Amino acid sequence: MRARLATAMGGAMALVVALSACSKNTGDNADKVDTNKPRSGAIATDPKDSLGPAAEVPGAAKGGTFYILRENKISHLDPQRVYSFAGLMGSQLYARFLTTFKDDGKGNVTLVGDLAETPGKNVNNDCKVWEFKIKQGVKFEDGRPITSKEIAYGIARSFDPDLTGGPTYLQEWLADSPQYDTKWNFKANKTSLPPGLSTPDAQTLRFEFNKPRCDLPFAVSLPATAPLPPDKDTGVNLDNQPFSSGPYKFTKNQPGVEMVLERNPNWDPATDPVRHAYPDKFVWSLGSDQATQTNRVLAGTGNDAAAVATGGVPSELIAKVTGDPALKARMIVAATPNAFRLSINTTRVTDLSVRQAINYAIDRSSITKNLGGPYGAVPLTTLLPPTTLGYQQFDAYPAGESGNPDKAKELLAGKSVNLVLGTGDETWQQETATQVKAALEKAGFTVTIKPIPADGYLDFVKKKSNPWDIWVDSWAADWPSGAAILPVLFDGRAIKAEGSNNTSQLNNDAINAEFDRVLAEDPAKQAEEWSKLDERLMKESAPAVPLYNEVISIAHGEKAGGVFIGSIFGWPSFVNAYVKQ
Amino acid sequence: MVRFLLKRLLLAVSVLLAVSVVSFLMFFALPRDPVTGMCPKNCNAERLERVRTELGLNDPKPQQYVNYMKGIFVGRDLGSAQGGKCEAPCLGYSYVNSEAVSDTFARVLPVTLNIVLPAAVLWLAIGVGLGMISALRRGSLLDRISIGLTLTFASLQLYFVGAVLLLIFVYSLKILPTPRYTPIFENPAEWARGLVLAWVTLALLFSAIYARLSRAQMLETLSEDFVRTARAKGVAKRKVYGRHALRAAITPIVTIAGIDVGAALGGTVITETTFGIQGLGRTAVEAVRQGDLPTIMATVLISALFVVVANIVVDLLYAYIDPRVRLG
Amino acid sequence: MSLSPVEGVALAEIESTGGPEEKGLVGRSPGQLVWSRLRRDRTAMVSGIVLAVLILAALAAPLISRLYGASPSQQFGDLLDATGMPLGYVGGVSGDHWFGLEPGLGRDIFIRMIYGIRTSLLIALGAAVVTTTIGVVLGIVAGYLGGVVDAVIGWFTDVALAMPFLVFALAVVPTFSLRFYGPRDAIPTWFAVTTLIVVFAAFGWTGTARLVRGQVVSLREREFVEAARASGAGLGHMLFRQLLPNIWAPILVAFSLAVPSYVTGEAALSFLGVGLPESVPSFGRMIYRSIDYLQTDPAYVFFPGIAIFALVLAFNLFGDALRDALDPKSSR
Repeated sequence: MRARLATAMGGAMALVVALSACSKNTGDNADKVDTNKPRSGAIATDPKDSLGPAAEVPGAAKGGTFYILRENKISHLDPQRVYSFAGLMGSQLYARFLTTFKDDGKGNVTLVGDLAETPGKNVNNDCKVWEFKIKQGVKFEDGRPITSKEIAYGIARSFDPDLTGGPTYLQEWLADSPQYDTKWNFKANKTSLPPGLSTPDAQTLRFEFNKPRCDLPFAVSLPATAPLPPDKDTGVNLDNQPFSSGPYKFTKNQPGVEMVLERNPNWDPATDPVRHAYPDKFVWSLGSDQATQTNRVLAGTGNDAAAVATGGVPSELIAKVTGDPALKARMIVAATPNAFRLSINTTRVTDLSVRQAINYAIDRSSITKNLGGPYGAVPLTTLLPPTTLGYQQFDAYPAGESGNPDKAKELLAGKSVNLVLGTGDETWQQETATQVKAALEKAGFTVTIKPIPADGYLDFVKKKSNPWDIWVDSWAADWPSGAAILPVLFDGRAIKAEGSNNTSQLNNDAINAEFDRVLAEDPAKQAEEWSKLDERLMKESAPAVPLYNEVISIAHGEKAGGVFIGSIFGWPSFVNAYVKQ
Repeated sequence: MVRFLLKRLLLAVSVLLAVSVVSFLMFFALPRDPVTGMCPKNCNAERLERVRTELGLNDPKPQQYVNYMKGIFVGRDLGSAQGGKCEAPCLGYSYVNSEAVSDTFARVLPVTLNIVLPAAVLWLAIGVGLGMISALRRGSLLDRISIGLTLTFASLQLYFVGAVLLLIFVYSLKILPTPRYTPIFENPAEWARGLVLAWVTLALLFSAIYARLSRAQMLETLSEDFVRTARAKGVAKRKVYGRHALRAAITPIVTIAGIDVGAALGGTVITETTFGIQGLGRTAVEAVRQGDLPTIMATVLISALFVVVANIVVDLLYAYIDPRVRLG
Repeated sequence: MSLSPVEGVALAEIESTGGPEEKGLVGRSPGQLVWSRLRRDRTAMVSGIVLAVLILAALAAPLISRLYGASPSQQFGDLLDATGMPLGYVGGVSGDHWFGLEPGLGRDIFIRMIYGIRTSLLIALGAAVVTTTIGVVLGIVAGYLGGVVDAVIGWFTDVALAMPFLVFALAVVPTFSLRFYGPRDAIPTWFAVTTLIVVFAAFGWTGTARLVRGQVVSLREREFVEAARASGAGLGHMLFRQLLPNIWAPILVAFSLAVPSYVTGEAALSFLGVGLPESVPSFGRMIYRSIDYLQTDPAYVFFPGIAIFALVLAFNLFGDALRDALDPKSSR
């Protein structure tokens, strides 16, 4: 009897399988997705570009509640502490910045003034003095006008060491030191401003730097330039209830569960070049993982019809979406600026020909296939991702998508090379390591996989004493300029005992000097130079193997309109979002 | 009675203290330095050092432990980066969530309680009911089916059953919403609809087992002298079974139920992960992954508290249910 | 530790169904008696055969691999489409790949399952042996000596029960290898397996210890124990010569029910990401990975799912039948 019952259970399971698996997979579903769209970007020179209101989105309607699904709470909401993709994109709803990107979601971005009338004035054309004029008619959620004073106060409070998490560009540039908080103490000087920052009048904000800071217009597009009146500064508690300068304000915040944003009546669309604020309410619904989010919006029951699953469609569910045209129409696919590379520890693998052999041996096709193919990752042969301004495609070690083990063997010339491959212990990390190992062993390398807990992984590879030879690294720049990528990752003078971003520990005087030269150039001219330097780095030093550019595929409900993947951070943008009526 | 309670309480406190020491030591064995997570992208050694000092992580470990325990009993000052003064019982300030741990718990604890307690009622009711009936109808078809189901369901994996139920009821038939927690007083219907899958999954796995146990217990008791005597004396069948036999049979079930409920409250990780509900279990897992010491300590202590309290409650119930047991 | 609900309840059941049985009255030895009872129980035979087949497959894994023509780490990337899904019918089932291929990595599911049984059984049996040994020793000592020793052991049992097992495992397992191996050393599979066994052992002994203690307490005052004590037998002799042989039956049942609970336990740890490394085929990781493919490649869920279900169910049924055979009172 007992055994018979078990058989019945087995039979029921078999039925489930039979119902859903009787069609043949011929591989036709996975057609080519074009994620390598050319990018074009500029800094707006015409002040009209920075004026509101933003051009209407065709088909958009006002009203309704728009739902945003996400797994974990956003690490910080306080604009001065925001630095995660979700935080950066989400803060646009309740905060305004000095500058911002006008983004058509198709790769064309223009940097425009947000609170400022223009994306900044390079006063002496030496990138050392910058001035921003603040727009008239911009207001906080309580109706008070926003002036340069509150913006300056916002920047000043990001010097407070208690307010961890945010970017540190402005602080370091103003103090001209990485130890900015020792140069200027926010808590002791709450009524004054940090060195180099001044407000000549209520409409003007002035930055003065010791060194040329040509990337300033980009840097002030980060949320740390959001304004805050000093009397509304609740210190660390601002993280739970930010004070709004944008089109919405917080009416409810249960960390890890739900956040509700409702219209801020004091926001004037005529001052805003990018935000539309179509829905009456935005609700962040937190707690569902990637797969659950996707399943929810695809099923589209109740509120989920007007929801977007920000976690992205996991590779396990891609086939479900691509197999059904109705569902496929509700998936947005775009490349992110997140570029993955196999970093090589140049202090251990000192032989250039070995590093080149690794470059020839790598099989990008097997790695990307495991990540969902064109919906999860596109093979990349450059250190800069295609989303970088002035990007030029090249392949320093042409070996085809599946690699060229023979060419690699030739370069190794009979040497036996043992490599220790470090990896985080998350599933995708371990599986990517499996693929890397398989490809390298085909070319005659011996590879030892060394898994360590995923959360400690980054700390580990950023140590100077990193004992591994190769590992998977990634970098997503804060703005689409080579200046925010190559010098950060490969300037040998920035190597520290801990927390180095130059994980390959490449230290080449000629390259370092070249970084200085390009950084001092006009931002518009830099773009082309970075791409050239990228090729030079790959050919002369091979400090890493570019692997793939992350692609994000997100699904949304039938009623969720206007969502696009922001070109800067590769995360969904809500400035055009609307609820279909 | 009072002496017994006092003794049990002292024992319970000593167990909790031991658990707190073990979990404190466990934290320092973690590979992740909690401080690096609190530093921005271009962090440097000096700043890390300062944060570490501010959090008290540079104090000797026994000192840190004493500070933590002091916080629970008399409160302590955590410094401006961590929300300042923290009143007793102070569970600390999360390293990653930028909120007091007690606030986190005020949010996640009700969720876990609302998953486990109704599920426990369900699995006990179904399990014990089924077990009693099979014992009274020994050898019948019903009896055999319930024994078969017992082992079959208990041999399935929780996350497997959960995933299948989700696929069927939520994504395909769409008759249930995605599992979520709505407070019962806010909307009782939504409360039930949002959690029913979690209850059913837990009940499927556990109730069959209780059916087995209570069947065996009941058979055992039915053959005991006092039941036979009662029957011989002409006491009505229902009264004998319902009052005398059931009472005696239920004692060991209470023991196991106590341990199970206690353990389930502390160990709902898999249920919560499967259904995407943020409760105590998931909070604990995330805290361990992120090296969030105050949250780890609090989750471990609270789940240990559940087990310990469940044990005491079981002892008390024993005396109430089974007249043969006397406390002392 | 409450990984599988079966174990704890089953132990309570044993506990309540009375102490050890008197020696068989008929001229047969207890072993023969049990064997003949098992032979008559159809469920026991069926589950026993299933177990035998699975254990045999696990032992013969390398041989099967050679005959079958695929190794567990071999990848068949050409048989996957551009998004990593297996080409063809039912998750890539074919003459060469009986149960299809893993999506993404393209390894053969059948041969990984065979190796997976091997790993899972190794862990489960290892953990069951260690926990049963610890549990028996502590239980017998606590039960026989009583007093302070009993109280101390009881206190440790309470502490082990109060520690949340999964949280502890999550924290400890990933760091274990870091303590024993340098950052460039390969970690052998046996070490990863041992780590899991140790973690299970640290928490799993409580059930058996309580069971054995209860049994010993009820035996302590029996005549044969009194007699042995009076004749001046040493402690070791008392515990392991006089008491242990009289409680082997419930221990055996507890052991057979512990094995499936550790198979489940390994799967639960994989689910939380602290199981074995990716390269080691194990049931836990397979199940955990395949669940995500429930909608897109159900065959991948089905084959390992049914196998682990069969393994756990067979153990549970067998343990159940064994208890029936050992305990004449509960025979139906």
